[in-house]
Amino acid sequence: MIWLEGVSYLRAGSPALADLTLGVSRGELVVVQGPTGSGKSSLLAVAAGFREPDSGAVWIAERNIAGLQASSLPYVRRNVGYLPPLPLLIPDENVLENIMLALAVRGQPIDSAEADARESLAMVADSAWENRLARSLSTGQQRLVALARALVGPPPLVVVDEPAAGMGGDDREGIVRALVWARERGCAVLCATSDPSFAQMLVDAGGRRVNLEGGRIVGAPAIGLVPTPVDFPDMDEPENADLAEAIRPSDRSSSGEESA
Amino acid sequence: MTFAWILRRARRQAVSARRALWAAAGSFLVLGLVSGVAVLGLRATRGWMSTVGQGVHVIAFLRDDVQPDQAAQLVDLLRLRPGVSRVRLVEPAEALARLRDAARPLPAAGSWLDDLEPGYFPRSIEVALVASADLSQRATELSRRLRGLAAVADVDAMTDGVARLAAWVRFGQRLGWAVVLAAGIAALSFLVSTVLRGREARRRQAQVLVILGETAGNVSLPANIALAAAGLAGALAALVVLRIAWPTLLTAVERAMGIVPTPTGFFLGFWESAAGLLAAPLLGWMLGYLSTPVPGGVDA
Repeated sequence: MIWLEGVSYLRAGSPALADLTLGVSRGELVVVQGPTGSGKSSLLAVAAGFREPDSGAVWIAERNIAGLQASSLPYVRRNVGYLPPLPLLIPDENVLENIMLALAVRGQPIDSAEADARESLAMVADSAWENRLARSLSTGQQRLVALARALVGPPPLVVVDEPAAGMGGDDREGIVRALVWARERGCAVLCATSDPSFAQMLVDAGGRRVNLEGGRIVGAPAIGLVPTPVDFPDMDEPENADLAEAIRPSDRSSSGEESA
Repeated sequence: MTFAWILRRARRQAVSARRALWAAAGSFLVLGLVSGVAVLGLRATRGWMSTVGQGVHVIAFLRDDVQPDQAAQLVDLLRLRPGVSRVRLVEPAEALARLRDAARPLPAAGSWLDDLEPGYFPRSIEVALVASADLSQRATELSRRLRGLAAVADVDAMTDGVARLAAWVRFGQRLGWAVVLAAGIAALSFLVSTVLRGREARRRQAQVLVILGETAGNVSLPANIALAAAGLAGALAALVVLRIAWPTLLTAVERAMGIVPTPTGFFLGFWESAAGLLAAPLLGWMLGYLSTPVPGGVDA
C-alpha cells in the first residue's frame, strides 16, 4: 500500500498539495482526476518518491520515504513503475531495450527481462515496434512505450501520469486493460488524468475516482478499500538488503513517526 | 544493475556512439604517442648531449713509428699549453673497443668486428679545450700546429661539428618540448570536447535511469567502462606504433645529425609502458563521469 498522510508540497512557492491524505491498497486502482494545475502531477511525483513533500509522510511498504536520504531513494524508485507527464525514453535505444531497462535496474536476468518486456509492450502497443529506435516514435507512441516500461514486471506500485493524453479510442482501451492487468496482479495503481471520460473508463473497469482541486481532495473519501500492505519485496530476504537498508526505520522523519 | 547488464549497456553505448568512441580512442592514441615520444626523445637527446659533453675538440692521430714514451711526452707538452683543459692518450686497444661498442647495435655489424685487431688503429691523442667564445678558432689553430709535428699523421678538428651538434640538440630539445606540449594540449582538448559533445545525449539517458531507480554511481558506469576501454585501446595502439616506428625515426634523425646510432633495443621500459597502459584507462574512466550528467532529481 501507499499511504500519503497530511502531505503538503509547494511548487515555486505556491501550494500544489495542501494537507492531502490518500491511500492506495494492494490490488486497487485509484484514478486522480482534476483540471490542469490541480496538483495531480505533484501528487504523483511525491507518491513515486521523485519530490519530497514539505510536510507530511509518504508511507510505502509501511516505511516513510519522505525523510529518506537522496542516496537511498533509488532503492525505493526501482520498485515503483512511474510514467512521468512527459514520457522520457532513451532516444538512441530501441523500444525493447528502453522497456528492459526497468528490469535491468531491478537486477532481473537479461533473458527473462526480454520476455517480460515483450509481454508488456504487446499489452499496450504494437509488438512490431520493438526494434524501432525511440526517437523514431511519435509522442503518443513514446507515451505508450513509457507506459509499457512502467508496467513491466510488474512492480508493486504503479504511478502513471496522464497515460492517455492525446490517445485515440483503441489506445485508451488498451491502456485501461493494461492498468487493470497490473491491478489484478496485486499492484497498487495510482493514475492521474484531466480527462473525465478516460477517468470514467477506469472507474467502469473497477477503479476508484478521487477528485483533486487546488491540491485538495474533494467530494470523495481518500481511502477506499481497507488498507492492506502492498506486496513489496520481503525485507528479510538477503537479496533485498539494499532496499531494506534504504528504507530502514532510522530514516523516518520525526513528523512521520508521530503521525504513524 | 548487475554486471552483465552494465556490460551490455556499455556495449550498446559503444555501438550507438561509436564515432565519438573512435574519436576518443584516437585522442588517446595521439596522447600516448605524444607522451611516449616525449619520454623517448628526452632520453635520446640526453644520450646525445652526453656524447657531445665528452668535450673532445681535437684528435691527433700519431704515426705508427711513434714510440709510447714519445707519445707520452707529447701529451705532457700539450697539457702545458694554455686553454687546454684535458689531454688523453688513446691506445689502439681502447680505440677498437670504442668502435665495437658503437658499431655493435648496427644491423650491418657482423663478425667483421670480431676479426679486427688493435693493430689496425693508430695511437691517438684527444684534446679538450676550455670552453670560450673563440673555441672554434683555438681548435683550428691547435690543429694547424699539430699537423706540423713529425709524430702526427693526421688531425681531426671536431670543434665545428660538435659545437653545431650541441646547438642543434639544444634547439631540438626546446622545439620538441614545445611541439610535445602543443600536441598534448590539442589531443587532450579534442578528447574532452569529444566527451562533452555527447553529454547532452547522455543527459536524457541519465534522467531515464534515475526515474527507473538507478543509483548515481551506476548511471555513469557504462560510460566509464566504454571510455576506459577506449583509453586502453588508444594506449595499446600508441605502444605498438611507437615500438614499430620509433627505432626507424630515431635512426633517421641520428643519421641526419651524423651521430652514432642508438642501440635499436632502446625503448620504453616495462614500468613506463605499464604506467601508460594504466593511466589511459584511468583517464577514460574519469572522463566517464564528465560525460554523464546525473540529475539530482527528475523534473519531468
